[in-house]
Amino acid sequence: MISIKEIGSLIRKEFLIEFREKYALGGILLYVATSVFIVMVAFGELEPEYWNLIFWILFLFASINAVLKSFVRESEQRYLYYYTLTHPVNLLFAKVLYNAFLLCLIGCLLMFALSIIAGNPIISFDIFFLAILMGSISLSLTFTFISSIAIKADNSATLLAILGFPLTIPIFINLIDLSGIALGLTLDENILDEVTILASIELLLCGAGMLLFPYLWRS
Amino acid sequence: MRQNWWKILSVIIIAGTIFGGLLAPIYPGIESVQPSRIDAGELIVMQIKGYNTHFAEENDLPRVWLKLDDENALGATQVMARNERQLRVSFYIPKSFPDSQQVSSLSLVIDSKKDGTSVLPGAIFVRHAGNPDQTELLLWKKDPIVHLNKRSFYGFPYRNILVETIRNTFFHIPMWFGMILLFAGSVFYSYRYMRSERIEDDMRAVSLIHVGILFGVMGLVTGMIWAQYTWGKFWSWDVKQNVSAITLLIYFALIILRSSFNDEERRARLSAGYNIFAFVLMIPLIFVVPRLTDSLHPGNGGNPALGGEDMDHTMRMIFYPAIIGWTLLGVWISQIIYRFFRVRERILN
Repeated sequence: MISIKEIGSLIRKEFLIEFREKYALGGILLYVATSVFIVMVAFGELEPEYWNLIFWILFLFASINAVLKSFVRESEQRYLYYYTLTHPVNLLFAKVLYNAFLLCLIGCLLMFALSIIAGNPIISFDIFFLAILMGSISLSLTFTFISSIAIKADNSATLLAILGFPLTIPIFINLIDLSGIALGLTLDENILDEVTILASIELLLCGAGMLLFPYLWRS
Repeated sequence: MRQNWWKILSVIIIAGTIFGGLLAPIYPGIESVQPSRIDAGELIVMQIKGYNTHFAEENDLPRVWLKLDDENALGATQVMARNERQLRVSFYIPKSFPDSQQVSSLSLVIDSKKDGTSVLPGAIFVRHAGNPDQTELLLWKKDPIVHLNKRSFYGFPYRNILVETIRNTFFHIPMWFGMILLFAGSVFYSYRYMRSERIEDDMRAVSLIHVGILFGVMGLVTGMIWAQYTWGKFWSWDVKQNVSAITLLIYFALIILRSSFNDEERRARLSAGYNIFAFVLMIPLIFVVPRLTDSLHPGNGGNPALGGEDMDHTMRMIFYPAIIGWTLLGVWISQIIYRFFRVRERILN
């Protein structure tokens, strides 16, 4: 049922839509720019602890917008058309992978913008990139799945926030710890532990999504 | 009647745990010791304050030791009971110690026929003398701790700070066990709904979730009242408090999700999906996160609850039945809610 070729063409379709409707991506970039600007106006130079916190808060809101947008921009008829063409799991994976890539991009942009404007406390870039990567994958998994539920209601943006935020808390606890290591906030160099927990949460989400998504997508 | 035996059982168990858990006394224990810091080679007089003790009983003067390790202990030179709860004990601390540290911590051991043996670990710290006297080493072996009395009555262990609130174990923790079990049951019915598409399964899942939320709220409330007495604050941002609050948020979100759809089938389908997804994400939240960080909760540090010295077999005898009783009661409540849903649906149609 899972076909790499179909996933590949679905991802290509996502990119094509992104390039045709530039305003959506532009909106996210503008969001990053304005929020970082607000941070600068409010705080100026940031202490590493607050830098860490503000980075993840901005990332959370940027990612929830980005993921929801990728669902809203296509009509229901088109989803019906996809449903006749391919297995729902392929669609889920295509969306998750595309969103993960998008979130990674947003995370890196956010990191550069914040380090230019509010100072750069990052000691170890590779660990921080690892945190962004892990965060992108797990948030993309959670929000893609929850969006597929929330999209069916009238007030999907509010519902996505209500449903999604409590679910992301275990992910964020580990992400903040991991990026704290990258910022030199914790001396405890237990990177492997954090990464293992994040990876196992991702596997759990992946499994649950694979089992549940085809069923939810039928309606 | 025959099918409802488990309802009767749950009521009997809960009544039993309430009576047993509230009426059994706390075992005698040592509340405080004065002084807590002394020098070696001195004759000291200690004031001991006990809890639920009977020091002034006739023909039953407590025997008192200061214990260094399993082989070395000092017997009291003089013991005098001032009243049932206060004891004056004199010790001579030898100049030399079997171990070669700067400071030793000694445990206090009190034994009497009526109260049994009570121990206060780290009761007193002794700074070693500058001029050790090897002949006094023999004093450590003179009064070995032997012929200890066993407690002949049923009760719960004495713990400092916790004292009587240790009984909350029987009412607070079963709420969380019940909540997890009820949520697990709702996941089962959600799964069955996905298979069968029968609206009854959805109703059962939702009624179990309602009772699970009720149990969670009760667990939070009982915990907060307890925390006010032991930690001094209703809410102190302890990891378990946070995690349980997040869990409740997740399930409140599920109720909101359900209320935002009017179409019955779509509501049932989406809430079944979210229920299973949320339960999967709750597993790392509840079973992994509290084990990674320190908590103020008793019995913590690595493995949360159930382990260590805060739970002994007398408590387990009430604690485990309490879990079963409350869970059965929860299932019973959920059945009543389920019937309410069915009746409401029949009237609406």
